[in-house]
Amino acid sequence: MPVNKHPTIESRAQNFARALQQVFGRGFGPGFWLAVFWLVIVAFCAMFADWLPLRDPLDPVIANRLDGPLSGSLLGADGLGRDILSRLVHGARVSVVIGLTAVSIGMIVGGALGIIAGYFRGHFERALMAVLDVILAFPWLVLLLALVAFIGQSLFAISTAIGFLWIPAYARVARANTLSVVQREYVLAARAMGATTTRILVREVLPNVILPLLAYGLVAMGLVIIVESALAFLGLSVEAPQPTWGGMISEGKRHLATAVHVALIPSITIFLTVLSLNFVGDRLRSRFDVKESNL
Amino acid sequence: MSDQPGQTTPLQLRDRDDIVLRIEHLSVNFRVGKQTVQAVSDLSLDVARGETLGLVGESGCGKSTVGRAIMQLPPPTAGKVLFKGQDLCLLSGEALRQTRTALQMIFQDPISSLNPRRKVRDIVAEGLQIWGRPSQQSRVREVMEAVGLDPDAVADRRPHQFSGGQCQRICIARSLALDPEVLICDEPVSALDVSVQAQILNLLEDMKQRYQLTMVFVAHNLAVVRNVSDRVAVMYLGKLCEIGGTGSVYARPAHPYTRALLASIPDMNPLSRHQQDGLPLLHGDLPSPANPPSGCRFRTRCPNAQALCAEKEPLMQAVRQTEQNEPQSKTTGVVSDHFVACHFPL
Amino acid sequence: MTPREFKEQPLLLDVRNLTIRLNSAAGLVHAVEDVSFVLREGQTLGIVGESGSGKSVMARSLMNLLSRRSVAQRQGSVVLSGREISALSEREMQKLRGAQVAMIFQDPMTALNPVLTICVQVSEPLQQHLGLSKQAARQRTIELLDAVGIPDAANRVDQYPHQLSGGMRQRVVIAIALACDPALLIADEPTTALDVTVQKQILDLLSRQQTQRRMGMLLITHDLGVVASRADIIAVMYAGRLVELAPATTLFGAMRHPYTEALFNSIPRISDPGHTRLQAIPGRPPQLHHPSPGCAFAPRCQYAQQRCHRETPPVVMAESSIVSAKPTEHLHACFFPVAKSASGGVN
Repeated sequence: MPVNKHPTIESRAQNFARALQQVFGRGFGPGFWLAVFWLVIVAFCAMFADWLPLRDPLDPVIANRLDGPLSGSLLGADGLGRDILSRLVHGARVSVVIGLTAVSIGMIVGGALGIIAGYFRGHFERALMAVLDVILAFPWLVLLLALVAFIGQSLFAISTAIGFLWIPAYARVARANTLSVVQREYVLAARAMGATTTRILVREVLPNVILPLLAYGLVAMGLVIIVESALAFLGLSVEAPQPTWGGMISEGKRHLATAVHVALIPSITIFLTVLSLNFVGDRLRSRFDVKESNL
Repeated sequence: MSDQPGQTTPLQLRDRDDIVLRIEHLSVNFRVGKQTVQAVSDLSLDVARGETLGLVGESGCGKSTVGRAIMQLPPPTAGKVLFKGQDLCLLSGEALRQTRTALQMIFQDPISSLNPRRKVRDIVAEGLQIWGRPSQQSRVREVMEAVGLDPDAVADRRPHQFSGGQCQRICIARSLALDPEVLICDEPVSALDVSVQAQILNLLEDMKQRYQLTMVFVAHNLAVVRNVSDRVAVMYLGKLCEIGGTGSVYARPAHPYTRALLASIPDMNPLSRHQQDGLPLLHGDLPSPANPPSGCRFRTRCPNAQALCAEKEPLMQAVRQTEQNEPQSKTTGVVSDHFVACHFPL
Repeated sequence: MTPREFKEQPLLLDVRNLTIRLNSAAGLVHAVEDVSFVLREGQTLGIVGESGSGKSVMARSLMNLLSRRSVAQRQGSVVLSGREISALSEREMQKLRGAQVAMIFQDPMTALNPVLTICVQVSEPLQQHLGLSKQAARQRTIELLDAVGIPDAANRVDQYPHQLSGGMRQRVVIAIALACDPALLIADEPTTALDVTVQKQILDLLSRQQTQRRMGMLLITHDLGVVASRADIIAVMYAGRLVELAPATTLFGAMRHPYTEALFNSIPRISDPGHTRLQAIPGRPPQLHHPSPGCAFAPRCQYAQQRCHRETPPVVMAESSIVSAKPTEHLHACFFPVAKSASGGVN
């Protein structure tokens, strides 16, 4: 090893390299990057659907009815002659918005409840856990149907309803992580220095709980997309004619015998998206776990 | 009988002006399931300015609990913790937060006592930030240099990039930043490598001189305690067994438990293997603290136990100093500083 | 037993040039480098080292317990009772483990299975290796528990680990290790997780059992005090290498390697007056990812010279020392060995 004349510079470079490694990962593997690539495409479609050079997703061209893929348009047309690619791209928006909103609601409300329960323990924790157990014991689809019937079928209402379903799961994850963080001596040290409870929660507990929550969020988002599809399949998601992936499958089921691609293409899209989310979420979570256990 | 603590002033408390920390009849109970476990029971001791009190005992004897009870983390179930005459147990909220900054703590596991998501600079500055102290930058530099860390190389890193010894230095720097008067060290070197322990012990000694600290040093290693403390208190199952000047306690242990502890220290002499069975060893294990023995708690393992030990709890008494051992005490008339809670002291 | 008596004992374990490199997230770890030693029947070899000195990795490799995925490289030979074991298949090794070599781990909490009774755990090797019937194994288990000093063994045998204290659990672990009368017992930090009073009981128990059963024992620890009065031979490891090896009395009489001396001097002593300044070793043990050339201890060594930073010192026999030790009995790996007798020596 050459004699190192600039230890600080070298160690900074090493640190930077290590940080890069942590973010971009050595050993994540090509599968991880494929998944990320797919998710980036989906996110891009959701954001820029209106500006992309696509046909109008709501414009029925009777002549194109049930066109197969690569015949005229890339992915063909559905039972009303609407362009499937365009509808997929616009449908991504619904999936992404509902996914993000629902997960955010679950994460913020459930996370906060879980952290508070884990930190203060006592009666609040017991009461909260009891309520959460009751919610979890409900068949989720029935609960969701009731919520949707109650608050309506707007994008926001659907997101809120699904988000509500995620509160118990998030509260549990947050509480479990908080319980382990609170036992650490740095929390005690902060209290000894006179840190207020708010400061401890924000500075000491939250940064250590948020990463596992975020990683869990990706996996949760995959499940949210499936739940939304199920709702759409039952005709209870965002109202037609707004395209959604679940709605497209629902519409496609009528033509399963003649034009299987109408239902198959959105199904594959959902499959790939959920798989990617799980894959990325899982990898990131194990990465954080390893980092924790190294400490 | 000691059934009604709080009535009398315990014998072992000294009547001096320079007492910084004084603990009277301290009890700490924990609820474990449906049982109540008395982790610390009617414990009284004091620490004078600039003194280091070593607190020793086996795991589960409540020594760490005492350290935390002094900090009111959590507050004790009963008793007083007087810091410069002020009872910390009576303070609450803002007043406690304020006063407690004068007492700081160092923990056993240096890695678990540093938040992995924060930079060293922020960790050390934490206390200063909380209280909005002026010139935080320079203070952080100062304490980091004092504990032997190079601020430029270290400040922007995170704890996982450091070894256990360096993490313990960071912990010490953090505790010193607020300029405390009392430092409570809870097993500060037992998680460290042997070759690093001495560095940290020397550092603590230096910091004690430099910042005029009073220390409570909780440890299970008797040799370490011997090295750092002026006075030593021996605990067994939540009770104080013996307290006194370190030299006196180590040279002439009066409690059978203290003697057993001293006898179990591994001998550094390879020739001693043939003479190992000289001193009576402790037999058996620690009884459950949830259900301590009646009378003297040590009696179930004590080689000298008699019927009285099961009936009556021994009170603290001054250790009689035999003339051949301590000739100067007779001439100077110094009152004994060595106390033991045993019916049949050695 | 004196070293001379051991000379006549047959060789139990012969480790030659053992080198182990492990894979880790941060790259190749040079865990054990060129370690050689022999152990005779009935002898205790104390291996002293700090965390990261490679002592535990070495112990595990003697039982082939390192997972195949983590070992990147393994060289050298390990001969146990005349049989080379490094090339044995997992199946053959399983026959040896427990029967020929047994191991005691640091943490009695995790070494025992919490959902099985003591009886099941102790009698398992008895049934497996010795082919005892269930009833006979149970009887033998009670005898074993009795032998390791567990009071009321007949009743304790049906308890679960959580019903026992730490010291009692470690006794159970020892009973499991002794179950099939192994020729070699590897005790990896057997008392580190225990209290001092219990520590002494356990060490005494190990010594007693070893003498009775004429086992060879590897006593691995970070505490010089633990091995001082219990090991016949002491090996000191630093950064994966053996830096000094000598009979205990010889070693404590005249330490030759600066690390051994520094380690010895850095330990606080009960006999020293309070506030004695400790002779701390500066710096920290090296990382084993990128070993630099030269002696691993050189950066922390007060006697280090130019040569120490360039070349790795080989293990050599100490020149006949002040004490009447035969030169063959004292090995060290240092270009400039400490000549003087260790300060004070004993306490």
